[in-house]
Amino acid sequence: MHRRHFLGASLVAGFAALGLRGCGMPRPLRFGIHPWIGYESLYLAEEFGWLPASVELVKGASALDSMELLKSGKLDGAGLTLDEAIRVHVESPELLVVGVTDVSVGADVLVAKRGIRNLDQLRGKRIAVELAGVSGTLLLNVLDQAGIEWDEVTVVDVPVDKYVGLWKRGEVDAIACYEPTASILLGLGGVRLFDSSQLPETIFDVLVVTRKFAAMVPDAVRALLEAHFSGLRHLVRNQHDSVYRVATRQGISPMDVRLALASVMFPDLASNRRYLAKDGRVEQVARSLSRMLAREGLVHRPLGVDRFSDNDFLPRSVA
Amino acid sequence: MKRWILGYLAFAVLILPLAGTTLAQGIPDVRFGIYAYRPDFIMQERYQPLADYLTGRIGIPVKLQVLDQEQMRTALASNQLDFFLTNPSQFLVIRSERSLTGVLATLVRKHDGVASASLGGVIFTTAAREDITSLADVQGKTVATPGRHFLGGFQSQVLELKEAGVDVLRDNRVKLVRSHDRVLRSVLTGDAEIGFVRTGILEELVADDPGLADRIRILNRQNLAGFPYVVSTRLYPEWPIAALPHVNSDVVRRVASALFAIEENYPAALSAGIAGFAPPADYQSVEYLARELRVEPYDELPQLTWGELIGQYWGWLIAVGSLVLLLTGAMLWLRRKKRELAAEQRRLRRLILSWPQPMLMLRGGEFVDTNRSALELLRFVMPQSLLGKDIAAFSPHEQPDGDVSRQKMQRLLQQVALGEVVQVEWVFRRSDGSEVWVDMTLAPVHEQDESQPHVLCSWYDVTRRKEAEQRQRMAASVFDHAREAIFITDLHGLIIDVNDAYVEITGRARADAIGRLPPLPLEEGIGVFASARSHGFWSGEFTSKRQSGEHFSLALTVSGVRDERGAISHFMGIFSDITRLKAQEKELRTMAHYDALTHLPNRVLFTDRMQQVMAQARRHDDLLAVVYIDLDQFKPVNDAYGHKAGDELLVEVAKRMRAELREEDTLARLGGDEFAALIVNITEPAVLENLLARLLHAVSEPVPVAGHLVQVSASIGYTLYPRAEELDGDQLLRQADQAMYQAKQKGRNRYCGFDSAAS
Repeated sequence: MHRRHFLGASLVAGFAALGLRGCGMPRPLRFGIHPWIGYESLYLAEEFGWLPASVELVKGASALDSMELLKSGKLDGAGLTLDEAIRVHVESPELLVVGVTDVSVGADVLVAKRGIRNLDQLRGKRIAVELAGVSGTLLLNVLDQAGIEWDEVTVVDVPVDKYVGLWKRGEVDAIACYEPTASILLGLGGVRLFDSSQLPETIFDVLVVTRKFAAMVPDAVRALLEAHFSGLRHLVRNQHDSVYRVATRQGISPMDVRLALASVMFPDLASNRRYLAKDGRVEQVARSLSRMLAREGLVHRPLGVDRFSDNDFLPRSVA
Repeated sequence: MKRWILGYLAFAVLILPLAGTTLAQGIPDVRFGIYAYRPDFIMQERYQPLADYLTGRIGIPVKLQVLDQEQMRTALASNQLDFFLTNPSQFLVIRSERSLTGVLATLVRKHDGVASASLGGVIFTTAAREDITSLADVQGKTVATPGRHFLGGFQSQVLELKEAGVDVLRDNRVKLVRSHDRVLRSVLTGDAEIGFVRTGILEELVADDPGLADRIRILNRQNLAGFPYVVSTRLYPEWPIAALPHVNSDVVRRVASALFAIEENYPAALSAGIAGFAPPADYQSVEYLARELRVEPYDELPQLTWGELIGQYWGWLIAVGSLVLLLTGAMLWLRRKKRELAAEQRRLRRLILSWPQPMLMLRGGEFVDTNRSALELLRFVMPQSLLGKDIAAFSPHEQPDGDVSRQKMQRLLQQVALGEVVQVEWVFRRSDGSEVWVDMTLAPVHEQDESQPHVLCSWYDVTRRKEAEQRQRMAASVFDHAREAIFITDLHGLIIDVNDAYVEITGRARADAIGRLPPLPLEEGIGVFASARSHGFWSGEFTSKRQSGEHFSLALTVSGVRDERGAISHFMGIFSDITRLKAQEKELRTMAHYDALTHLPNRVLFTDRMQQVMAQARRHDDLLAVVYIDLDQFKPVNDAYGHKAGDELLVEVAKRMRAELREEDTLARLGGDEFAALIVNITEPAVLENLLARLLHAVSEPVPVAGHLVQVSASIGYTLYPRAEELDGDQLLRQADQAMYQAKQKGRNRYCGFDSAAS
């Protein structure tokens, strides 16, 4: 189970669109998204008709769908977390980060049993985590920050939906997870030992496209980003409307949407430019993350490209 | 920051009741305006508890004033309000007209236990109108709305419809009915087909009249989880409450804290149907909407001052300004250049047109331009006569070299197309049929991007030269082929040139002849040139020597050749070889005076000589004798041996007689066998008689003729001169003849003198 799955229960029949591509030139950008607050900008853009014809949204249930379709060449781009993007990139096709939708500031949490008061006490403990997901990245960072070696803890690799059961049975001492599982576990007596607000500008949700497509149809990539920023403006500046729409789509209450909005930051155009710059934050994080993943054997090789991100496709201004 | 303010406000709420008592002393009351989005009495009834609550909390009487749009404006303009609660659109307009402190709080409504700080618009029609089901169906329908300044009651719907392609402001009849309740009434009574109301209204009305829900149909219904009202548009923040600048800040603070302190279950909240007040919302989305729709306060584009413009865009302005300057400069420069070019072109054209040498322009082998001289050369008047035609059209079918004109010109133009400049002599036929020779030059005029390059064609009239050449050729031919020898000398008579005949006649090679004198008469020599100079010519006949040394006669005419000024610059001589002519002349003369057989003078010459010697004899008083000799028996010889033998005899006899005579004497044959002689200087009779005797003897000697010896004799008569009487030659000869007759009679082979007595 991948992160960003829980928020969207609806499986959209977007896949049907995959086979319906016309033969006109150039073909639209097939972009995979799934329900996550960071990608709501694109859903909103589509809802308000701000999505150009050159972009075709393919709606999956989770990041897993997008990753699979990217690998099989059925997508030209997708909304993914940065670590997911690296995982796809090292296997092919090679990707390029063209936009940052959000930065996690507390959405990712390490919940521990009440007795554990600091990170040091994690040594020798059993920690549940979905290694292939973003929580794996969180755990890696936590252990890195605490100076704990990977083999000093017992990692229990389980999918997200098993967390609550594990917790209730007391089989693990800590769980790396994210909202809303985190809130549930906290409600069950867990302690917020660490969250992503302590890892500033590290967990990114990004818009990626295949390098091939970016070189081939750069205009479609620009159009995608323009739509994203239009949607983002509505999401942020017109929350009185957007919370209801997000709530409706994700099947949660407007209050939950407000909470979700609070756990992430939405970088605007200027911040995007900064994040995606040469030697910008995304580039740095991607490199250290890929090294970390490679070191732990979670990916088979590091990035291997000069630039993993590019701010060239960002629009000049938001219309 | 906001949280800090909130905290501060919460704190203020706690201490307010204490402070209120002191404040109340200076301020009589607080005027609280509220916009009447529903009928006055309903508004009054619902919001009076809120006013009462605030009065209680701040310790100053709060007076509620329910105002419509116009009333609110008037009240605000005269500072008759301290606080007001109105819809966001109206708030934007007011804010743009007055300086406000910003929004204090945003209203939170509540319906069915669900609170919301958002509002939106509802678009509806009656349930009976089954033809209206989507936004697109609203096109052209009559719309009822409470007023243009209503966010939920007009503007939100207009934006939604605009994005669906329906421009309400332009295409729909809009009825402004001033309140939401009347909108519903208008739609239900059919006055309007479409109704615009804000969210919450329908729910309130349905609460009063449960059957209403079935009588209307909501268009573009939005499915928004957690939003308590039915809605057709996107949502915007709820009503803001704002304070005016003149209000004491303590009062503002206390009112704000009182507002935030309102709980859902307070009577003030319950009565107004609200959940309370939330921290000020972000009203930017409302501003976007107003901008998008161009409604107040954004109905006019902001006036940008020059200062702002320059301040913000100075870089661009300078760039654009310099560009414009550059462009203007370039344009002016170009215009000047163009004018100069045009003038140059005109000058050039005038020059070409008036140039005395014919010039034309060809394109694709056809004339496209011509000057006056070219027209005049071909004797045309209008340029149109030439334009569009090719050169061959004005040429004879064939050129003098035998080529067909059209083919030759095509060949030449092909050469020109390859970049060559071609020069050729060409014959044109003029409009009057006469022909004119020109020296034609064809030169390519290269212009890039021309498929068919222009060819410049110029003509030079060489007809005169051609004629002169022809004359010269003729003259040269005459010179070369004349039978007469022709030579040209310089002023000294030295030869410059000679013709073939000269060489032939003189036997002198041309190279030898040049630089020497021509044949000249011995006596005059180069004097002939002086004569020719003074008389214009000299002519004469003389003898000269050929190279071989042979003599020849020639008839020469020398004339002066004059230069342009009339002065003699050369001499030209013509002569012919007249040697044969001279010989013939001599022969003829001989034939006239001599006997062809014996070569003795004949009767004519004899008579002539006789005249001469008679004149001589008279002058010198000399004596002469005229002798008549006739051969005896000549005829038998002739008959016996033939004429040839007779002739031989005559020749022999004549020779013997001639030999007997002296040099100064004359022997002539008068015809047949008759001879005559003139004997001069007879000093004494014996001389004569002696001579006559020798004659007889000479004749009588045998003569071998035709193999035979023949013997003849002669009978001779003579007479003397002068005599007593004057006699002429004929008389003398007759006398001699008579005397010879006597000699015949006396027996032949004798001589007898004429005796006048005897006759």
